[in-house]
Amino acid sequence: MRAAVRIGAIAGIVTIFLAAVGLIGNFTELNLIGTQVTFAGVMIVTPPLLAGYVAITPRIEAGRLIELGRGQALAAGATAGVLAGAVFGAFVIFVDTFGVERIREVFINISPVLMDYLTQGHPAIVAAAILVAVSVVAGTAGAGYRTLPDPVRRPLGTAVWVTLLFGFLQRIVPIALDQLEVERDWMYSKVTGGLTWVGATVIAAVAAAASVLKARKGDAIRGAIRGQRDRRADGARLTPLTFALMLVGLAVVLIAPHVLGSVISEVLGTVMVFALLGLGLNIVVGYAGLLDLGYVFFFTLGAYSLALLTGATLNTFVGSTEPAIAFNLNFYVAIPIVVLIAAGAGVLIGAPVLRLRGDYLALVTLGLGEMIVVLVTSPWLEPLVGGPQGMRDITNAAVGNFGFRDPKHFYYLAFAFVVLALFVSWRLANSRVGRAWTALREDEQVADAMGVSTTAYKLLAFAMGGAIGSVGGALFAVKIGSLTPASFTVLVSIQVLGIVILGGIGSLPGVIVGSLVLVGLPGLLREFEEYRLLAYGAALVAVMLLRPAGLIPNVRRSRELKDEDREQDKWASDVAADEHVATPITPLGEGAG
Amino acid sequence: MSSSGSARTVDARLSGFATLPWRRIILVVLGSTIAFVTVAGAYKTLTLPEGERYSGDFWIDQVVNGLGQGAILALIALGYTLVYGILRMINFAHGEVFMAGAFISFFFADAYLKSGFLDSNTYLALLILLIVSIAGSTLVAVLLERIAYRPLRNAPRLVPLITAIGASLFIANAFRGFFGPQPYGYPLPTLLQGSIGIFGISVAKVQLLVFVTAIVAMVALQLFVNRSRTGRSMRAVAEDSEIASLMGINVDRIVVITFVVGGILAGIAGVLFALTFQQVQFTMGFKPGIAAFTAAVLGGIGSIGGAALGGFVLGVLQAVGPPLLLTGFGIPSPFSLKDAFVFLVLILVLVFRPGGLLGSGEAEKV
Amino acid sequence: MKRRPWLTVIATVAALALVASACSNDDDGGDAGDGDTETAAADEFGTIEVAAGEPINIGTLMVISGADAALGQDSQNGAVLAADYLDGAFDGTDGQLLGHDIQWSHEDELCTAEGGQAGGTALAADPSVVAVIGTSCSSAALGVADTIMSEKGILLFSPSNTNPALTSEEAHQPFYARTAHNDRIQGAIVAEYALNEQGATKLATIHDESPYTQGLTAAAAVNFEAGDGTVTVQEQINSEDTDFKPLLRSIAEGDPDVLYAPVFVAACSLILKQAEEIMPDVTIMASDGCMSSDTLKNAGDAVDGVFLSSPDISVFQEGEFYSNEFIPAYQEQFGTEPTSVFHAHAFDATNVLFDAIEQVAVENDDGSLSIPRTALRDAVFATSGYEGLTGIITCTELGDCATDVTIGIFEGPNWPVEGGAKPDTPVYSDTKSLDDVL
Repeated sequence: MRAAVRIGAIAGIVTIFLAAVGLIGNFTELNLIGTQVTFAGVMIVTPPLLAGYVAITPRIEAGRLIELGRGQALAAGATAGVLAGAVFGAFVIFVDTFGVERIREVFINISPVLMDYLTQGHPAIVAAAILVAVSVVAGTAGAGYRTLPDPVRRPLGTAVWVTLLFGFLQRIVPIALDQLEVERDWMYSKVTGGLTWVGATVIAAVAAAASVLKARKGDAIRGAIRGQRDRRADGARLTPLTFALMLVGLAVVLIAPHVLGSVISEVLGTVMVFALLGLGLNIVVGYAGLLDLGYVFFFTLGAYSLALLTGATLNTFVGSTEPAIAFNLNFYVAIPIVVLIAAGAGVLIGAPVLRLRGDYLALVTLGLGEMIVVLVTSPWLEPLVGGPQGMRDITNAAVGNFGFRDPKHFYYLAFAFVVLALFVSWRLANSRVGRAWTALREDEQVADAMGVSTTAYKLLAFAMGGAIGSVGGALFAVKIGSLTPASFTVLVSIQVLGIVILGGIGSLPGVIVGSLVLVGLPGLLREFEEYRLLAYGAALVAVMLLRPAGLIPNVRRSRELKDEDREQDKWASDVAADEHVATPITPLGEGAG
Repeated sequence: MSSSGSARTVDARLSGFATLPWRRIILVVLGSTIAFVTVAGAYKTLTLPEGERYSGDFWIDQVVNGLGQGAILALIALGYTLVYGILRMINFAHGEVFMAGAFISFFFADAYLKSGFLDSNTYLALLILLIVSIAGSTLVAVLLERIAYRPLRNAPRLVPLITAIGASLFIANAFRGFFGPQPYGYPLPTLLQGSIGIFGISVAKVQLLVFVTAIVAMVALQLFVNRSRTGRSMRAVAEDSEIASLMGINVDRIVVITFVVGGILAGIAGVLFALTFQQVQFTMGFKPGIAAFTAAVLGGIGSIGGAALGGFVLGVLQAVGPPLLLTGFGIPSPFSLKDAFVFLVLILVLVFRPGGLLGSGEAEKV
Repeated sequence: MKRRPWLTVIATVAALALVASACSNDDDGGDAGDGDTETAAADEFGTIEVAAGEPINIGTLMVISGADAALGQDSQNGAVLAADYLDGAFDGTDGQLLGHDIQWSHEDELCTAEGGQAGGTALAADPSVVAVIGTSCSSAALGVADTIMSEKGILLFSPSNTNPALTSEEAHQPFYARTAHNDRIQGAIVAEYALNEQGATKLATIHDESPYTQGLTAAAAVNFEAGDGTVTVQEQINSEDTDFKPLLRSIAEGDPDVLYAPVFVAACSLILKQAEEIMPDVTIMASDGCMSSDTLKNAGDAVDGVFLSSPDISVFQEGEFYSNEFIPAYQEQFGTEPTSVFHAHAFDATNVLFDAIEQVAVENDDGSLSIPRTALRDAVFATSGYEGLTGIITCTELGDCATDVTIGIFEGPNWPVEGGAKPDTPVYSDTKSLDDVL
């Protein structure tokens, strides 16, 4: 019960945070379903809901697992809800008493619009009471949800979040449906912008049904796939099932641009470029375990090298001019040269730097990323790369008359490179080199003692990762057609790192998914641009705390994460408990896979 | 797939390759080239024709500038080094801890300016601002430790690093959401305006305050860590946390204390920074954070003296380095390259002395 | 089994080849390529059909989120007000154009090239968009949005881009025009003021990593030297830096008379304060990027005697329309005073566009409209002698419609922003056209 009180209070503070940051006040008009379920409303209801859910987590007290019965659980949920509502309600009363305008001078997002929405015209005390009531319901619902039996809980949960997701994606799904020439006014209302109740119900039903189906058949398929993945992770070949799945996936990916239109294709093009970057960084961080925080180095190197090699010109304030060193090669001739330059740079820089221990390496690579950005913007190198004005007229990688700058065409070009990188990564992972990297990652001293030349393999990883990153940069240059230094920042390094981590370190499908989520979603949800980095930071922390193996964990790596050390046990068992994995962790680290 | 026979040869060749004194050869060559370029650059700059040369005053002023900036960096760097010493982790979000204190104290400073309190009772006002800033920074630091770092105490190194980066982004953007993206002007009390002459050099009063405060704080920290019981416990935990806990030290509590001390230092640095530049903005934590971490590593991370030294060296390097070494070679706008310059120096220092300036000369494994 | 992976690769390549050839069939010959395609852009761009009762869709592409949101939002507001004024009055209800309502498609360009591409693609993909008012930032337009729009024959009319390259011989895109001034003019007038009014013989400049500031300082430097002045040094900073003392100390060594630092608010406030300490006798000049109430608040007394250059709307501000009708309407509809300088330019651009649409649209019998794209572009580019809020608008072949630009020099603290001292009239004002400057 004490836990419920504490968690409820925290949830209330979280809601205040959401209000202060603007996520409620600025989205009172964003309708998700009908006009009743708005984004702001969801923001208000979610913290108490989660509080209720979390409040009844089974905990270990005095060596015994304590789980609450149904009645107790609901009570706990309600308590959490009461606290959450009370804290937030107190906030509303406080703001109302003190005067919104005065508070707004400091907290700019606590606005009259926000207060109007929260009070709905009622006096503050009444509004607070209503908020408490709403929170109690939410908290109880959250707790109740958790106590439901699995066959009911899963479909319900899936239905809710899928429906909300569709409501959230109201700017994307209708466009796609329009492209497919599917009637969609019954699902998305042109008036409110969001889902209609009819549409929501249908989506919820379909999602629930899919969830039920997955539960029945899913275990069998998952077991089969896991069996496949295990065998593959240990170096086995492709099996017919995997191959077939790959072909199907391939077909879908190939038709996508034509189906989804140029707006979505443009975003997918960026997704592909970042997926490529992610694959490169995956080799450095995922396979070889090197902490690289400056991946933007290779990205920038690739973009500018390509520009210089293919005859781009410098922007000046009077027009344009030739760079100090210019070549006019064809894109397809230039790309191998870009790869060589990047690999060369990787080796040259890596040699002195890679022997540093992990944290120092992180800082040094960060510095390298900053250095190249400074150089590229500097007046010193302006005659070569254009300084702040940047470069223009980058090649469109044309083959004959067929140019690749159109979003739909670019997508294919990028995709081809992604496939190539996937292939290279996959082969590397299962090769001698990959095993050397694993050894390096697990324990460098032991690897060294066993005769694995750590320096050489580190260099190899760094150079290969860098080469792939440079190709990513080159593609980026082709996509935009123009280069300005503003596109090359430390944030790029962090984003790519996020993609690799979120998707799952060392996991190839994870990189693709990571890119879709971290690049695709923000690209399509432009109204949330202001909150992108906030959500990003929160996501990184949340993923590390809750599911460090990522969204699509690489089986072998997640075992590694659990096996690391005897001291890992405590941490790992916390993770396991959260995932309801029943198998206990023994001192020798034999975790559940 | 090659057979194991040829693979062994490849490995043998590779390791044979590596055991040649390549490293020493490269280091010597690299070292001499760097030394040569440095001396040549400095020489050329100092022997430029009369009209183009920098005056003697210029160099003195730059050193003073550098020391002033370096003092602030040193204070922030101390926070990094303390946490690193205990937890072996880079607290990337420490820059935001610094920003938080400065930003929160701004609202008080602004209120005091408007009410006239700032100038009527400057000492008291400054004291309150300091306390507020320290409170703000410490709060953020403690929350960070509790929410983001403690659960990951035993995780592989990459995990807390990512968490720290995420936390840094989160805190900075939360402040942006709360207070807006624009810069806010931080008032400077009249008492602190203007400069005074010290040994014939004109030093801004604020710079002097920064310098003195930084030295006092560092000395206090050194005394605390070396003489007090808590300080002893901190050193014990830094040495080996398992054994320290076996000896009866509450490691969790020590960690929190470390973060608190780091927060205090960052809070002080925050007010000093705000007074020096008279501006706060949600982005103000990132660059100084990186710079301070660089300073800590430069000086030798894990050592208090190292962080202090690193801070001052970095400050002076930023101010003196680019004009001294780059102007001679005719590079336009040398200050636009100062960040690159500083990182280059860091890399070179780490290549030759992997433990930093005050660290041991050997690279530590693991 | 070992061969399978290779098969996948071959299959991929084959599939791609098939798809690629399919693609090249439904496009008309692939991309238009790079650079100026003026000759190729004949009447192939077609017509926009607006059915009876359907609104005319106008796009905007401004920076409406992030640190520069004030700039973009302000321009967007100016454009939207033009629709209001269609019925001859600012009454909160839009007028109609040729019997059709106006519908807005607002997109965000994020002030980056990628943002310009993303927003531009979104607008270009919509066949009902007649024209786009945008962009705010030159980096979103240059080589990116201007090319995307020109390839589809959509007019991109900017109220805010000042980068000279956009309307240069080499880089101009056929469907791009702007009502904002060309920075070559502003730079020239700054140089003129320094030379003639301040009697300066030595100039130092500071710009940051944005093309806007670099263009301004380059233009100022070139004109200063043409007037027999010497440019001692042209320094570059990073807009996120805070410590400029070493740099300023270094500039002070060259003993300039005037320091021109047209950077943005954050760096500008810092430079003003630090320069006061380090080079108190040097005259500091800056431009619109620094012209903000935030600078006045942050820099305090340091703004005294600092000269800012900015478009001088006071010439037309005296005119009743702007102060008595436009500004009150702006405040009424958007709840705030204008937050930047380009709202008037946006208003003018939109009105010129509306006039052009009226001119070239064909009203069909069934009540629908047909607007030919190239004719629309030609009509806008043929605008001459149009009296707008910002001055006389006459468009050149290269898209510069603000041909006679009046730039004023304002002495701090008498800046025409909220919190500025009154009277906020310029201490110097000059009108130039592109032919007068380098």
